[in-house]
Amino acid sequence: MAKLIMFHGRECPHCKVMMPLVDKLEKETGLSIEKLEVWHNEKNADLMRSYRDIIEPKCGGQLRTPTFFNTENQDVICGEMEYEKLKEWASG
Amino acid sequence: MKKFYRCHVCNDIHYGVKPPEICPTCSAKNAYVETNSDEAIKICSYTTKSINKQEFLKAIEALSENKEFQVNPDKEKVSMLIEGIFQNEKNHGLKYCPCRLSSKDPKKDLMLVCPCRFFIHETYKNKPDGECWCGLFIRRKENG
Repeated sequence: MAKLIMFHGRECPHCKVMMPLVDKLEKETGLSIEKLEVWHNEKNADLMRSYRDIIEPKCGGQLRTPTFFNTENQDVICGEMEYEKLKEWASG
Repeated sequence: MKKFYRCHVCNDIHYGVKPPEICPTCSAKNAYVETNSDEAIKICSYTTKSINKQEFLKAIEALSENKEFQVNPDKEKVSMLIEGIFQNEKNHGLKYCPCRLSSKDPKKDLMLVCPCRFFIHETYKNKPDGECWCGLFIRRKENG
């Protein structure tokens, strides 16, 4: 499984804003972030739900999109953010 | 605890802790009787007219009228969100928020149906530029 995951929704405008930043981050750092759509792919949705206990406390008690999840150190950030914050999470 | 109630005069369905004293549909007084969800769903299914995206937009604009919040003036964002809301209704049964994921607990997931109770969310409460999770609703601007 990928170390870095972005859970996103196809019709989520926050995800749309973050996508180019994720692409930029991958190009700049060489890191790979797996993008998993959760409203149209039940397997991805179930994977996100399986991390509920880790994600929800850090995201206002909700499973929100976009959520950025590091499977190694279990670091979670969600919503729209500045590029530097995303980079900090990815470099974790 | 919320329950289903049916107006025994006109079959109006109410879901809540207690029914209205006066039926908003036929004006009958003290006419509601408690019913079960199966019966309530069956009665509601007699109404075959579904709401389309344009009508939904009009409905949430009407909801926002004279309130401290408004529909986001960013038309592109609103269009994307409404598309997601309708995709979720088609694929998952209800107009779920496209920026949160359902838990598969039907009762808990009712909290995700748009419009949700966003006043209590951290993205809106006590924030001058607050908005609901997805940004469909924003705190009303002074000139808005």
